[in-house]
Amino acid sequence: MILLEFHNRIVQETLISKFKNAQEGSKPDTVDVTCADFDGVLYHISNPDGDKNKLLVSISLKFYTDLQAHGADTLIKREYCDYLTSPEAGYNVSLLYNLESVPQDYEEVAKKAALLKRNCFASVFEKYFDYQQKGTEGRERAVIHYRDDETMYVEAKKDRVTVIFSTIFKDNDDVVIGKVFMQEFKEGRRKYQQAPQVLFSHREPPQELQDTDARTGDNICYITFVLFPRHTSPAARDNTINLIHTLRDYLHYHIKCSKAYIHQRMRAKTSDFLKVLNRARPENKEKEKKTITGRTFNRN
Amino acid sequence: MANRLPACVIDTGTGYTKMGYAGNTEPQFIIPSAIGIKETAGVGDQAIRRLGKGVEDLDFYIGDEALNTPSYAVKWPIRHGIIEDWDLMERFYEQCIFKYLRSEPEDHYFLLTEPPLNTPENREYTAEIMFESFNVPGLYIAVQAVLALAASWTARQAGERTLTGTVIDSGDGVTHVIPVAEGYVIGSCIKHIPIAGRDITYFIQQLLREREVGIPPEQSLETAKAIKEKFSYVCPDIAKEFTKYDQDPGKWIKKYENKNAITKQLFSVDVGYERFLGPEIFFHPEFCNPDFTTPISEVVDDVIQNCPIDVRRGLYKNVVLSGGSTMFRDFGRKMQRDIKRIVDGRLKISEEISGGRIKPKPIDVQVISHHMQRYAVWFGGSMLASTPEFYQVCHTKADYDEHGPSICRHNPVFGAMT
Repeated sequence: MILLEFHNRIVQETLISKFKNAQEGSKPDTVDVTCADFDGVLYHISNPDGDKNKLLVSISLKFYTDLQAHGADTLIKREYCDYLTSPEAGYNVSLLYNLESVPQDYEEVAKKAALLKRNCFASVFEKYFDYQQKGTEGRERAVIHYRDDETMYVEAKKDRVTVIFSTIFKDNDDVVIGKVFMQEFKEGRRKYQQAPQVLFSHREPPQELQDTDARTGDNICYITFVLFPRHTSPAARDNTINLIHTLRDYLHYHIKCSKAYIHQRMRAKTSDFLKVLNRARPENKEKEKKTITGRTFNRN
Repeated sequence: MANRLPACVIDTGTGYTKMGYAGNTEPQFIIPSAIGIKETAGVGDQAIRRLGKGVEDLDFYIGDEALNTPSYAVKWPIRHGIIEDWDLMERFYEQCIFKYLRSEPEDHYFLLTEPPLNTPENREYTAEIMFESFNVPGLYIAVQAVLALAASWTARQAGERTLTGTVIDSGDGVTHVIPVAEGYVIGSCIKHIPIAGRDITYFIQQLLREREVGIPPEQSLETAKAIKEKFSYVCPDIAKEFTKYDQDPGKWIKKYENKNAITKQLFSVDVGYERFLGPEIFFHPEFCNPDFTTPISEVVDDVIQNCPIDVRRGLYKNVVLSGGSTMFRDFGRKMQRDIKRIVDGRLKISEEISGGRIKPKPIDVQVISHHMQRYAVWFGGSMLASTPEFYQVCHTKADYDEHGPSICRHNPVFGAMT
């Protein structure tokens, strides 16, 4: 698996099994599942007020207010119009499904519900992609505090959209691996001309973020993506959003995989060295030698 | 922030891995503990050959996807509950966390499980993987039997929570009887029974093969399994059960219907004596295994008699069932009756020997059945990992960085106080 999946498997599989169950006419059972997703997102699937024929899917994002400022509500309404309901206490968006009238294409519906987090994120990108397409400039950049100490900046210019992620590495080794990994991203651009430009800076925020409150520090990195019109065009847009909203987790996933790979190499090398060590036996020094006449003597 | 997000609970068994978020009643995923990798034929050490050059280390599947994807070599990194191949296991965890659970491991505490008698070195290896590769903030490695005991608390009143008891853990491959005192496994007294779910399925399959003709051979195992799961129960007395069936077959003999996978035609099977004969092999193992003839109730009694004398009463009083093959109706009741019979018999003999002068205090035998039996270990883990106490006993990343992997050799018992 090179790219992370965009939908939440737990939500998808839970919904499909419930829908299927309902369609086959079996008795619905109670459901109460709480599960997490990347970036501190929490899902809750339950029966509202104990009504087993209804299914409530709620999502909580800590940065939803940031997203609301960029039209998250309208986008969610557009995507989930029929199912949208007033949000459950403690959550930001809730979808309500009635198990008595399961849609025929329930697998599609479940998949869509599993994309809830992606769609919440999408609003801010869609808005700025639109700005770029229309050529309006001079707008403020969007600031999304998508994790407690990590931030995403989106800015639209006439000919491009710039997306900047700040990310924190908990471990010092991660900085090194992350740097090497991002280096490969830059190299990749040589091979694929259509790839967006990627810049990577360690410790200091990039030029665009000078004189903002962007943090500096030893374990902070900034990743800048420059998206061109071919990425923000309506045809390519969905794919771009899919990929870019998982970028931070993608980076951290690959850092972890790289470490696992390094561990694998170390294990292989250790077992190799152990084999060599086992073969090496100290030579038996005290040898009994024989003279030509047949007498024996010890030589130290 | 880590405290707000639920902990991840991953129970890796020989056959299946159960994983999910703490606080839920059922695991979110139950997948075979298998990993499918591309293997190249060639000379040289296997570990070195596997390294590859590019991104081959990401080219693998786990669980059902591993079994269903052709041209991948399927490996089982866990044998007899103990992790044997750490390279594969590390990659297995990679996908568990990022593909299935979709959790950023830096934000969640982790509870992993181990079989009784796991080596401390293995715990260190696990800690190395979790802390160094995944940067988890906290880790706790729990013994499966202890979690199964904790899961049985749902069937009891509060205040009666105890971590002393005998766990009968029966999955697909093997059955263990494990005595636990105050949260610590009495390792020297564990016994294994070579009879479990798979043997019952084979036994039912054999019975059906002798009598029924309509079952397509390639579906015979699947049919036997379905009959086992749907219709089987434990009866108090086989002889009586046979007469019951003979007198009123209409009431007791059931019908099982299924579709032939190839011709798409329906076939039906009469389900008769195998309903109670299947699970009966726990109590009469000689039915299917000539080498092993000790009934399960006798094994449990043996195990407890081997234990230190001061915990025996506690062990008799709390016999806990765990695993899918203990789900048969009335299994617990028959166990309780049989063990009670053995224990009472022994007390009677000692009374006779003393010539009636000493009257031993009767021993209370209780076998606990509860709703969470099937995933008892995972459920116990989920329950414990959602208590605030869990975060206090976890080994944290700071501890690990300070002291090294050896801190994970010992995981303090907790939960009994609440």
